[in-house]
Amino acid sequence: MLGQLIVSGLAAGSLYALTAVAVVVVFRNTRTINLAQGDFAMMGAFLALIFIKSLGLSYLFALGLSVVCIMALGVLTERLVMRPIADSGWLTLFTATLGVYYILHGVSGWLWGRDTKAFPVTFDPTPIHFLGTVVSEGHLINMAWVTAIGVLLYSFFRYTKQGIAMRAVTDDPETAQLMGIPVRFIVMLTWAMAGFLGAFAGILAAPIIYVAPEMMDEVLIKGYVAAVFGGLYSIPGAILGAILIGVAENLAGGYLGAHFKTAIAFVMIVILLAFRPQGLIGIQKRREV
Amino acid sequence: MVESITTTAAPAPSGSRAAVATLKNTFQMQNWVLASLFFAACLVFPLLPFVEGWMVFQGAFIIIYIMAAQGVSILTGYTGLVTVGHGAFLAIGAYTAALLMKYTGLSVIPGMIAGGLVSALFGLALGLVFLRLAGAFMAIGTLGFAFFIGAIVNNVPIFEGRTGISLPPNTVFGFEIDDFGFYYVALVTLALTTLFVHSLIRSGVGRAFKALRDSDKAAESSGVNRLLYRTLAFSISAFITGVAGALNGLIVNYISAEVYGDIWYSVDLLVAAVVGGSAMLFGPFLGGFFVAMVPFYLEELADFAFILKGVALIAVLVLAPAGVAEVVARPVRAWRQRKLLEAGESPELADAPGPPTGGGS
Repeated sequence: MLGQLIVSGLAAGSLYALTAVAVVVVFRNTRTINLAQGDFAMMGAFLALIFIKSLGLSYLFALGLSVVCIMALGVLTERLVMRPIADSGWLTLFTATLGVYYILHGVSGWLWGRDTKAFPVTFDPTPIHFLGTVVSEGHLINMAWVTAIGVLLYSFFRYTKQGIAMRAVTDDPETAQLMGIPVRFIVMLTWAMAGFLGAFAGILAAPIIYVAPEMMDEVLIKGYVAAVFGGLYSIPGAILGAILIGVAENLAGGYLGAHFKTAIAFVMIVILLAFRPQGLIGIQKRREV
Repeated sequence: MVESITTTAAPAPSGSRAAVATLKNTFQMQNWVLASLFFAACLVFPLLPFVEGWMVFQGAFIIIYIMAAQGVSILTGYTGLVTVGHGAFLAIGAYTAALLMKYTGLSVIPGMIAGGLVSALFGLALGLVFLRLAGAFMAIGTLGFAFFIGAIVNNVPIFEGRTGISLPPNTVFGFEIDDFGFYYVALVTLALTTLFVHSLIRSGVGRAFKALRDSDKAAESSGVNRLLYRTLAFSISAFITGVAGALNGLIVNYISAEVYGDIWYSVDLLVAAVVGGSAMLFGPFLGGFFVAMVPFYLEELADFAFILKGVALIAVLVLAPAGVAEVVARPVRAWRQRKLLEAGESPELADAPGPPTGGGS
């Protein structure tokens, strides 16, 4: 029972991690708590569904195309909405992403309707027995994808010029600008990365949940909670937080009853913020918010 | 240095002080007259010949939204603590009043007060728990609180989840009231809360709130007790929103987790505060009106309404980052400042960002 709950928790946590990392990356480079992150994911899932169902594309091709589209959506959001108000306080930026949230919710509901749709299942639905636990193949595939994305992100930040520039902007945008780093381009890249992570989060979650305008709302909130575990700054902290939340809510659901499953993440956040407001992984240097 | 500027700008300093004082009094009187006119208009509104029943009902809803947004503005506008969780206080107020009415037969006014008080207790607790939080962390923390309360009303049996609690007709002092009467109850309550917020932000407590907002370190080193004033701001803010919540539940005689278990109230109230202008007395009036009326007008457009709402929100943020109230008040404020300068107010003082006095109520 315990092992089973932990494995299910890891599967759920890996999906929260994609959202949490996107929230952290956008926040630390632009001071924006991005409320539209869940909608990037939702649009990604819808687009992939359209590509597969209506255009008859293969799963992988549809996934790739959808990821590219949502990256463009992220860039568009930055260019049209966020850049004109980039110098405002964080509350204005936050409320502006709420505007984007409304628009994307409206667009998806208007184009595709409010009813929930099933996403074609690409994996074998019979569960696999693994170390004494039962796992769905879909969860395993998702965890593999998320791990691959994690490795990709790590290499991006560690080895590529753009990744290092992005970290420089995080640490000190003014100095970065003076050193000749194109800060505007890096901010755009940040939003593209949010789109990239969002599209994957949506497409990987879609077969497990469903496809509808509000499909990612709860995942998004848990992504925030996970991001706070890393002090809204640390990517490893956010990933750790996401996995903790996934495991904790499955344990609570299993041992305390299903009612407690949704509440546990917020009990955790309240306790965390009350005792360690800087996040679980302590950050010494953090920008004023 | 300051001295010399004053003398050049005001060559006759002897009479100028009295003139400035008179002028300031006049401006204050103008504010009072405008506010009274506004409330008088609201009093007459249901009696006008073309006004139908649903308009009065909708009017009461707007008033409730305004009140709830006033609660948000105490924290977000005056104390600088952004809250994305005030829907929780709305729910606490509504459920307190509804449960009391169901099990003890309490009427509207005691229900309202009880709703406010229980909500204020939760506000006090939240203020203590989040004592060290600021900025974005406070926003996420309060959002978590709203979700937590939502999960509770959805799942704990006494709140009857999505089935909801149906309530008997409302009574005030033993008389049964309809929507019409309810409108007046809400209006009187709004007048009281407005008067309260007005006096609060001009009192020492209000100055302490604003000092904490502008710089909590500076405020603390000049003797502002952070623990006291932060928890006080939380409690007062929660009280006002809790009262609004009680009215919000009682007006339709029915509450359910379908409505209060969601975080959309929380987000709407923050939008009301930000759009209206949360650091001005009449900001919540504009913001509450905006948030209550947009879905009403755009109902038949359904999903398209969402798009328009988003576009309108972004447009307001780009064009009026400090809220619509600030844009409306700007010319009035500029005109008054010019008058004050002409009367001999020292420019040093006149240029200082004064207390946020609205043009109207």
